[in-house]
Amino acid sequence: MSKLTYEKPTINKIDFVMASKYGSPIHTQKIRTEIDGISVNELTEKFGSPIFVFSEKKMEELYNNLYSAFSSRYSDVQFGWSYKTNYLNEICKVFHRLGSCAEVVSEFEYQKARALGIEGKDIIFNGPYKPYADLKIAVQEGAKIHVDNLFELDDLEKIATELDIVISLAIRINMDIGVYPQWSRFGFNYENGDAYEAIERMYASKKMKLVGIHSHIGTFMLDANAYRNATTKIMQLKEQVERDFKSEIAYIDLGGGFASKSNLKGIYQSTDVVIPTPDDYAEAITNVIYDLNKSEKLPKLYLETGRALIDEAGYLLTTVHGYKRFPDGKKGYILDAGVNLLYTSTWYNFNIETDRHYEGENEPSLLNGPLCMNIDIIEENIALPPLNRGTVLSISPVGAYNYTQAMQFIRYKPAAVLIDRDGKARYIKEVDDLSTVNYKEI
Amino acid sequence: MKKHMLLITSILKPYSSLLFLNNKYVGALLLLITFTNPSVAISGLFGVLFTILFAELIEFKESYLAQGFYIYNSLLVGMGIGFLFSPSLISTALIAMASAFTFMLSFMLNRLFSVYKIPILSLPFSIVTMFIYLASLKYSNLLSTLLNNATTFDIQLPLIISGFLKSFGTIFFLPSNIAGAMILLLVLYFSRILFVMAVSGYYFGITIHSYLIGSFEQALYDPYAFNYILVAIALCGVFLLPTWKNYILALIGVAISVMLTDAISILFSYYSIPVFTLPFNITVIVFIFILSMTYYKEFNLEIKSTPEYSLSNYLSRIFRFGKTHVRLSLPFSGEWSVYQAFDDSWTHKGEYKYAYDFVKLKEGRTYENEGLYASDYHAFGESILSPVSGYVVAARHDLIDNIIGEVDRINNWGNYIIIKSDSGFFVEISHLMQYSLTLKVGDYVESNAIVAKCGNSGYSPEPHIHIQAQYLGVLGGFTQEFCFSEYIQKKRLFFNTVPQKRELVYAVIKDRSISSRLHFILDDSFEYEVYLDEKYIENVVFSVRMNTYSQFYLEDVLGNELYFYNDAKQFYFYSYKGGESHLRWLFKLAPRIPFVSSGTINFVDYLPVYLLKGKLESAFIEFLSTINQNVYKQETEYHFDGKCISSSYGEVYLESTNKALTLISYNQTQLRRKL
Repeated sequence: MSKLTYEKPTINKIDFVMASKYGSPIHTQKIRTEIDGISVNELTEKFGSPIFVFSEKKMEELYNNLYSAFSSRYSDVQFGWSYKTNYLNEICKVFHRLGSCAEVVSEFEYQKARALGIEGKDIIFNGPYKPYADLKIAVQEGAKIHVDNLFELDDLEKIATELDIVISLAIRINMDIGVYPQWSRFGFNYENGDAYEAIERMYASKKMKLVGIHSHIGTFMLDANAYRNATTKIMQLKEQVERDFKSEIAYIDLGGGFASKSNLKGIYQSTDVVIPTPDDYAEAITNVIYDLNKSEKLPKLYLETGRALIDEAGYLLTTVHGYKRFPDGKKGYILDAGVNLLYTSTWYNFNIETDRHYEGENEPSLLNGPLCMNIDIIEENIALPPLNRGTVLSISPVGAYNYTQAMQFIRYKPAAVLIDRDGKARYIKEVDDLSTVNYKEI
Repeated sequence: MKKHMLLITSILKPYSSLLFLNNKYVGALLLLITFTNPSVAISGLFGVLFTILFAELIEFKESYLAQGFYIYNSLLVGMGIGFLFSPSLISTALIAMASAFTFMLSFMLNRLFSVYKIPILSLPFSIVTMFIYLASLKYSNLLSTLLNNATTFDIQLPLIISGFLKSFGTIFFLPSNIAGAMILLLVLYFSRILFVMAVSGYYFGITIHSYLIGSFEQALYDPYAFNYILVAIALCGVFLLPTWKNYILALIGVAISVMLTDAISILFSYYSIPVFTLPFNITVIVFIFILSMTYYKEFNLEIKSTPEYSLSNYLSRIFRFGKTHVRLSLPFSGEWSVYQAFDDSWTHKGEYKYAYDFVKLKEGRTYENEGLYASDYHAFGESILSPVSGYVVAARHDLIDNIIGEVDRINNWGNYIIIKSDSGFFVEISHLMQYSLTLKVGDYVESNAIVAKCGNSGYSPEPHIHIQAQYLGVLGGFTQEFCFSEYIQKKRLFFNTVPQKRELVYAVIKDRSISSRLHFILDDSFEYEVYLDEKYIENVVFSVRMNTYSQFYLEDVLGNELYFYNDAKQFYFYSYKGGESHLRWLFKLAPRIPFVSSGTINFVDYLPVYLLKGKLESAFIEFLSTINQNVYKQETEYHFDGKCISSSYGEVYLESTNKALTLISYNQTQLRRKL
């Protein structure tokens, strides 16, 4: 038996919480030994630490669950992969392979989708800022343009004149769906008539016609009813437009915003309790379409779900570099991944899981990143057993937004690994080095 | 013109009703046959006419008359009088009187009997003739024809055959070999089952009777032996389905009627009243009463024009739509696994055996990580969908979800919901997640709508969905057998059956975009251009019509009728009347269209034999299926992808935008929808 390492004795106040209905927090440890059959230690040894790991299997499962919840109720449904959620090329490819088209919000994302071989007609071009030159390319390539403001409408009229065509457009609208905060910054307001005026303006020019109506009511929507309200208003506007302008609205787009099973800060129930199921969202939206559709034809339904399809498929593996005992007795661990990689740590309590069972009582601990910044705290107060240097912690769910918003700061931006359907891990992005950072610097 | 047709039908139908057939041509032939004894024929016809006149007088509804149902007793009474007295002014007056009385008695008895779902048969006739014969003892002013009856022209046959033929003829008051033989041939042509039952009923009755009285010859001479024939036909073929079991029941009935016939004849002979059909009426009414009250399974619930057609209709229904009407949808979406089935090892026992438990599996396990928390279980938090459309009659959701490994022994059922389905039965779902109900008592819920989340409350070792059908809407009510109206296993769609333990089942959710395309409304008409080998031939139109029983059908210009129904989960055709036509093909091409969009799925359907085979072969198969019902099972494999239904017969296309079928194609023929 090896000699036990000396540890300075401390007295800790242990929060004794009565066993809740989900068990006792004192004796249980959250453990994740592997992802899709590959041990987390093997992953960090082979691909380095910290590292983002994505599970293709989980992505497929999430996609199929949500897609079948909709398609089994409504056959004409199309998902658009929200590029901003995670635009690593290999991730986008997985969703395109599953049947998604692309949903982009900038010229950069548009170019990325085109570079991945997505045709213009399969790209939904959203967003409040579409530069003129890029907007023109998108029009020429037949992209689905969702108009956000009147200036854009002017641009489009000009493009139509230049190209001597009539452009088919969709309009983004915002509305009161009974949820606070109301998202009113994007698109035209429905209740005050802005949206209808914009549509009138389109038809008045004779250079544009409306074929789609789009809304995106918010993010991490915990109430499926909000979608019921949004769909109701979209369908009402659709009927109004079809009647007044004798046109056909071929599709409606409910955007995204479906919640993933993440623990939002301030919510203490299990995610299974508070997060609506795919069925909840699907039923809310499709029932309203059926009930309110007045035209011969049912509209095609687009959804631009990002988070709900990728969040739970992403993990950040990080390694314990060392620890200290703070003056207040709390244990502080220094990890090799910091908040610059975990943009969503602001509003989520992540699942933090150890790589194996550790002896000893759980004690309140603090998780620090490697940044030499006081704010680099991943978890302020988490019950963990005593961990060693080298312990691999899995942080999840981090599939959505964290990679695309991760910042090269102080350290290099880490690599990303995809575990494919056969359970084989491979790099989909290597770790940056000095030349990446210095590239284009003068 | 139409009125005349109705009158003719009203006159002819009662004749065929006497043989339990429903066909005016049979009626016409039987009317002709009765003329072998003109007195009987004319008096019978008078009986019918007087009844119709009387019905007109009291402004009775035409539709009732057209069925011939209230008239055949008057016909019998008329013939009975004609059998007794030669036609004269006075006998005609007697017929008029008796007909009106018989008609009213028929109506009254029917109203009383129908409460217990039993037929009146020819009971009114038995009663009225009893009175007439009793009264006639005093009527010396009427000329008796009884002597003439015995001496009409006839052929000579051995007693063993002539006994049967004469008995058969006696049903129409024509106890002659010729009349008997003609009626028998008619029966043979329209229904082999009736023929077999008539023959076997008669000879079985005679055998029993001869053993009892000690003389075979005397038994053959018994003028009331026709009762055996009627009992046999009624019990195996008409009121009960023609099956083996009912064949035995029919023979028991015949044996009973032998005894009744003798008993009644002894009593009646004191007053010179013939027994006529009283033994038959008593026997059959008693049988039907008990069998209908006890929900006997092989009861013929839909009496069609012939026993063959009744059987074919019944078999087609049970093969295509299952034996039970207690049908549920799966109470979830996606793929789940059967944890406990009917009559299973843990809790589904005794009066509670008709229940199902479902869990969700991933990689063979119901949980992830170590399964220490309810939230580790894949089922936990999943939406529970309503298995039926109906009202919520009871519900509770205040109980906590148990820690894994503990169960609530006091509140076994945990959080639950009980829904009274529109079809009358109750469905109970247990172990709901705390505070997850989206409905309250009194709410109406459509099938497939979300009602709650799967939880771990009550006697539940791990999160799962428990579902059962009950007779009553109270918690802990006894369970009732049910089936799942549809589910998918390995891309195959199953109807009205239940999965086995540990099997994976994929739930079907109604795609309203498919159902709305098939939502045909009265007077909708769909025009098609017919192409043969890509060459335009003609235009055809199918129109939506409804008959007096509120059944909807598609009709073409030739008057062919294809009956359809659009229920909650599928559109289907179930009956066809007419000759070779595009509609007949349509039945074969798309006998049902499920409202499912889950990629390409396969399913099997069992089409009615008359659709697939020639007349002679169908008759043969229908006859054989009385012995072995599986002979009737004609399997056809179909593929459906939400847009096209295809099989070895051809293809039918639906379009996402327009109502109705857009393309029907078989052999070299194509029907293209013209908009």
